[in-house]
Amino acid sequence: MQRFIPVRRLLSEIKYSLRRQRRFLSQVAQSEVDNNDGFVPKMPSFDYSPPPYTGPSADEILSKRKEYLSPAMFTLYSKPLNIVDGRMQYLFDDKGRRYVDAFGGIATVCCGHCHPDVVEAIVNQTKRLQHSTILYLNHAIADFAEALANKLPGNLKVVFLTNSGTEANELAMMMARLYTGCHDIISLRNAYHGNAAGTMGATAQSNWKFNVIQSGVHHAVNPDPYRGVFGSDGEKYARDVQDLIQFGTSGNIAGFISEAIQGVGGIIELAPGYMPAVYSTIKKAGGLCIADEVQAGFARTGSHFWGFENHGVVPDIVTMAKGIGNGIPLGAVVTTPEIATVLTCRSYFNTFGGNPVCTAAGLAVLKVIEKEKLQENAFVVGTYLKERLTALKDKYDLIGDVRGRGLMLGVELVTDQELKTPAKLETLHVMDQLKETGVLVGKGGIYGNVFRITPPLCFTKEDADFLVDAMDYIMAKM
Amino acid sequence: MAMLQRRLLKRTLEEAKARFNFNCYPILSPRASFSTLPSSSATASDDVPPQLPPFDYQPKPYNGPSADEILAKRKKFLGPSLFYYYQKPLNIVEGKMQYLYDESGRRYLDAFAGIVTVSCGHCHPEILNAIVEQSKLLQHATTIYLHHAIADFAEALASKMPGNLKVVYFVNSGSEANELAMLMARLYTGSLGMISLRNAYHGGSSSTIGLTALNTWKYPIPEGEIHHVMNPDPFRGVFGSDATRYAKEVQDHIEYGTSGKVAGFIAETIQGVGGAVELAPGYLKQVYDIVRKAGGVCIADEVQTGFGRTGSHYWGFETQGVIPDIVTMAKGIGNGLPLGAVVTTPEIASVMAQKIQFNTFGGNPVCSAGGLAVLRVIDKEKRQAHCADVGSHLIGRLRSLQDKHDIIGDVRGRGLMVGVELVTDRKEKTPAKAETALLFEKMKELGVLLGKGGLHGNVFRIKPPMCFTKDDADFLVDALDYAMSKL
Repeated sequence: MQRFIPVRRLLSEIKYSLRRQRRFLSQVAQSEVDNNDGFVPKMPSFDYSPPPYTGPSADEILSKRKEYLSPAMFTLYSKPLNIVDGRMQYLFDDKGRRYVDAFGGIATVCCGHCHPDVVEAIVNQTKRLQHSTILYLNHAIADFAEALANKLPGNLKVVFLTNSGTEANELAMMMARLYTGCHDIISLRNAYHGNAAGTMGATAQSNWKFNVIQSGVHHAVNPDPYRGVFGSDGEKYARDVQDLIQFGTSGNIAGFISEAIQGVGGIIELAPGYMPAVYSTIKKAGGLCIADEVQAGFARTGSHFWGFENHGVVPDIVTMAKGIGNGIPLGAVVTTPEIATVLTCRSYFNTFGGNPVCTAAGLAVLKVIEKEKLQENAFVVGTYLKERLTALKDKYDLIGDVRGRGLMLGVELVTDQELKTPAKLETLHVMDQLKETGVLVGKGGIYGNVFRITPPLCFTKEDADFLVDAMDYIMAKM
Repeated sequence: MAMLQRRLLKRTLEEAKARFNFNCYPILSPRASFSTLPSSSATASDDVPPQLPPFDYQPKPYNGPSADEILAKRKKFLGPSLFYYYQKPLNIVEGKMQYLYDESGRRYLDAFAGIVTVSCGHCHPEILNAIVEQSKLLQHATTIYLHHAIADFAEALASKMPGNLKVVYFVNSGSEANELAMLMARLYTGSLGMISLRNAYHGGSSSTIGLTALNTWKYPIPEGEIHHVMNPDPFRGVFGSDATRYAKEVQDHIEYGTSGKVAGFIAETIQGVGGAVELAPGYLKQVYDIVRKAGGVCIADEVQTGFGRTGSHYWGFETQGVIPDIVTMAKGIGNGLPLGAVVTTPEIASVMAQKIQFNTFGGNPVCSAGGLAVLRVIDKEKRQAHCADVGSHLIGRLRSLQDKHDIIGDVRGRGLMVGVELVTDRKEKTPAKAETALLFEKMKELGVLLGKGGLHGNVFRIKPPMCFTKDDADFLVDALDYAMSKL
């Protein structure tokens, strides 16, 4: 790049290349010198060869998808990837090429693809009994519910099992409304909570909202430290919730729902001090506080097991899905015994919810997280990764913000650091190039300009280095 | 001394009754008396209950928590709203084809299939193999990447559909499927009003609760413009089997209760939760016409009736000679895997392209592989024809039982989707709730696990895995006969 380089940038570049050279010496295997400039990052080694793939080609699949599946079904990448095999934090395409999975099937595969303990639990239970419903007893659901409840603070002891995050959030919203006798629910702008009728209302990004009636939800100003008008002043944002209640409702509401770190919205960590202030407001209005832990839960934030713990609050209802089963269709709602009784006035039933196979997998996941200290790993590797990404931000003007916690990180790309103009095209380009280099990341934010890095929690420092080096390599060429 | 005399008298009377029953009992087919030898001699002798057909399989020994331990944990960690069957709930630990095993290794005939869900049979080897093999390769990546399993499954499923029904959406449950169908209907038509039948069950999520029309399942929450029309119930409906009079009700709802335009109409062809109620013949044809004239789309809820269960047809709606605009499925689609689907026309699907609609788990490789295996097994093992064959035998025997026991008010259904409604008075059709509950327990003790349904809980739902045999059917009916005789 032949351009006038400001002194500050030159200094940071020198600092960065010194650091990189130190790393090059200590991790000899990590990269090799390119013929031109810089290093072509090389993937960390991995002792596994996928079985040869003999199934349909990418083109065949794509044409079948076009014919038989939703016309709105999208794929990432201009040349979509045919992913046929997965092992821990790696995915393999139909040619056997390995990729670092830095997206985790959307923050879903937490223990690692085909983790042996989880697969064993699934296979063993499937061979015995797949399904019978909760009309009969079975120990799998009871053992899992107990183990899950034990991971939650306060009086959050009663578990409801569903098949997805949407189902979990729908149930949580219904319970809040039944419990309080009120209908109004407050969620945050930029939130994502699901795609069924109630949850579509709570979701607050126009690209996910269809033109159908979505009643009883109010969207509060998002406590977004990067783009929000009050910066990181959580309490200032919290006042908006108070206003919403006082002016937009009867003064009493059903509840408040939020993600501790917004996932689909682009890995936005709620401004510090926001949640405690809002929770207090909500309680005063007689409402229940719902924490959507679908992405931030299950050790992903590293510092804590649950995302809400990072904010020092205890919700009334917690919803989970995605990572709860390492990819198996499973969701859960956990609440207090008091709130749980609200469903006894009629019959609530979920045919597949709590089936032996999914709950066996869920229990295996909890055991793996503990046994392999995945929370600690998420903290250590995540902190390291964030540091390296922040250093990269100093190097490239294209990177507007690096944020997140543990292994739930976001990198926002902008074309102008001051105006924060979303760099949509550049994001697509870098994402595609990352794939070519062997790194799969996710994309988010309402402008589609945020990289979502939510890998399986077995992600290593070497993987982190590879990811950042790849990004560096690509951005250097832009 | 008096007590002994009383006991002897009671025994004598029972013996006499049994012998009387045996003499009056019409033998429909030689099969009934020879293939299940112990059961026919049971009605002849005194207290020998019918025996389960033999089955060459040994369940694994069970070393897990006991029923009591599990129940205690459920009460503590799963909430008071999680109900269960039976005074002494069963700890079911293993399943094989049409049988289930409890913690002591005792075998039961599963006549309910985990609520019409285990379509091919518990732990069916082919489906098991598909699930296990795929789980070892890749459980989950989402549709943002390509994978052949979802494409192959969608193609196979679409090929089972008539008309222009060929775009498939995969979800994780029946509720999710019906939610999506409602969204499609409202988007496509631009109208809001939905019509469903009284006694219907379409889901337990907040929107589908609106479509569901049985107070036991409806929480007091806003439903958003849903009209529940008179149920074309041949047994309890005021117009009997006169479809035209019921259809006029729908016309009236539209003309008086809406702007004249509706979003859609949804119905199960044989209501499941509602008690295996088959819609009066000719009903759907007329109603589909009426709804379409009002700009609405027609949704067929095949969550229970699909996949060959009705025997005569692959899909329930085919029994009424109609082609819907949207079809929803779940339960049997994956033999127990958490899987649901919505199939519709490309035209209706196109409105969904206005915004992003994404289902994280929907269409995952394992469930898709399982679903595809289910379709293959149903075809290969000719399950549909089997349902027709065994189903008509079962219904035949149940009708004979109806002649024998006054308590049986109605026997209805098709294929292996059968209902037996119990009444204390045949004219008044007073629901025999207590008797149903009692017989339900007795059947379990005899080794048959039935389902229960209907608003009054007085209907036995018999919807077993579709590998259910005639011997199983005989055993079931003999057990029912035995239990009813002792009432």
